[in-house]
Amino acid sequence: MTSGYQQYRDSAGTDALPTVTDPDKTYAAITRQDYLDYKENYGGFEDDLIDRAQNDTSLIDSARADSANAAGLMSGISDRNASRYGAALNPAQMQQRGRSLERANTLGGVQSINDARVAQREANTKQLSDLINIGQGVNRSSLSQMGSAAADATQRNNAFSQAKAASKANTYSTLGSLGSMAIMAFAF
Amino acid sequence: MGSGPKQTDYEASAAEKTSASVAMAEHKYFKEKYDPLLQKMRDASLQDKATDTLRGRANADTMQQLTKPSAQRAIRGADGGDMAQAYQAQLGIANTSGKNIQNTAQTNVLGTARGQAADAQTGMAKASRLATSEALTRAKNKQAVSQAKMSAAGQVAGSFLAQGMANKATTGTAHPEMPAGQKGPGAPVTKKGSFMSPVDEFGNKVSGFGNRLAASNFFGGT
Repeated sequence: MTSGYQQYRDSAGTDALPTVTDPDKTYAAITRQDYLDYKENYGGFEDDLIDRAQNDTSLIDSARADSANAAGLMSGISDRNASRYGAALNPAQMQQRGRSLERANTLGGVQSINDARVAQREANTKQLSDLINIGQGVNRSSLSQMGSAAADATQRNNAFSQAKAASKANTYSTLGSLGSMAIMAFAF
Repeated sequence: MGSGPKQTDYEASAAEKTSASVAMAEHKYFKEKYDPLLQKMRDASLQDKATDTLRGRANADTMQQLTKPSAQRAIRGADGGDMAQAYQAQLGIANTSGKNIQNTAQTNVLGTARGQAADAQTGMAKASRLATSEALTRAKNKQAVSQAKMSAAGQVAGSFLAQGMANKATTGTAHPEMPAGQKGPGAPVTKKGSFMSPVDEFGNKVSGFGNRLAASNFFGGT
């Protein structure tokens, strides 16, 4: 099935219309190949999304890293500004400024990480909801497909039973007519 | 009696063939042009470019707003603390916005890809339905042929029996010769046909194809 499809895809020109000799088989080949393509191109992507929607901590990790970076960055900026204006701080002032910077940075970090936790939960929940919605669609589609296959199978079985019954009836009818003719023949 | 159905009578029309060809060509076009686009979007959604851009902007905004030179603030040493809090808050907002953009892009890609897969499944269901109706038609045809054979056998057997009965029902009057030394016609004897051979009006067995055909009155008679 796949080989016929691949043969077409390899052989068909870009402008010429391809010749489809057996639309039924081609249809089956295309749909099968589409599904295999999906599994190959998006199967891992989907698994990764589902996993990350439940376990992602990237926002919190970034907030932690930013908090650590901010301390050094702001300390440098503060030092350069003080130097620019020629501020000569005594040790007590420097200590106080350091404490002030550290306190502000810690508070900022705590708030930032807490905000990140909330944002992370929201983002993960939304992502999971979206994925569940997609999954619902997948489930609906597959159930519908299975229902269709089941209906087809039932139809086939019913048709087979009816055919068997009709065939038996036909056989008995023929035998009956033969028998009655025989009886009439030997009655003479 | 006409000849049987010909396969050529059941071939697809030109419109059906063209429709199938165009559908195949469009599918090929989609696979070549649009499918790679979705894969590109998938790859792009895995890279966190939106977050990088937003963080850059957040950083620039923070610095532009809060690094205006101020001798008083520089000497007091208070600018660093305010800036640290603002910087982290802005980057946090940028991270959150970037994450939302990335997540939305990824679910969009997955939703579209899943939609394609769903279309493929629906197509497969349709294909199996076509195959089902084809199998049913084939079974019906086989059954019809089988019934026709049985009916034909029944008809032949019935005709055979009916003809046999008709043969047995035939009677003829024979006038045998008188025994030696006696004159005149003999006493008439009624003779009955057997199952396989009828008798004519004189009680003689009808034999031979031509005579049997004439006796059967198949082509009508006088």
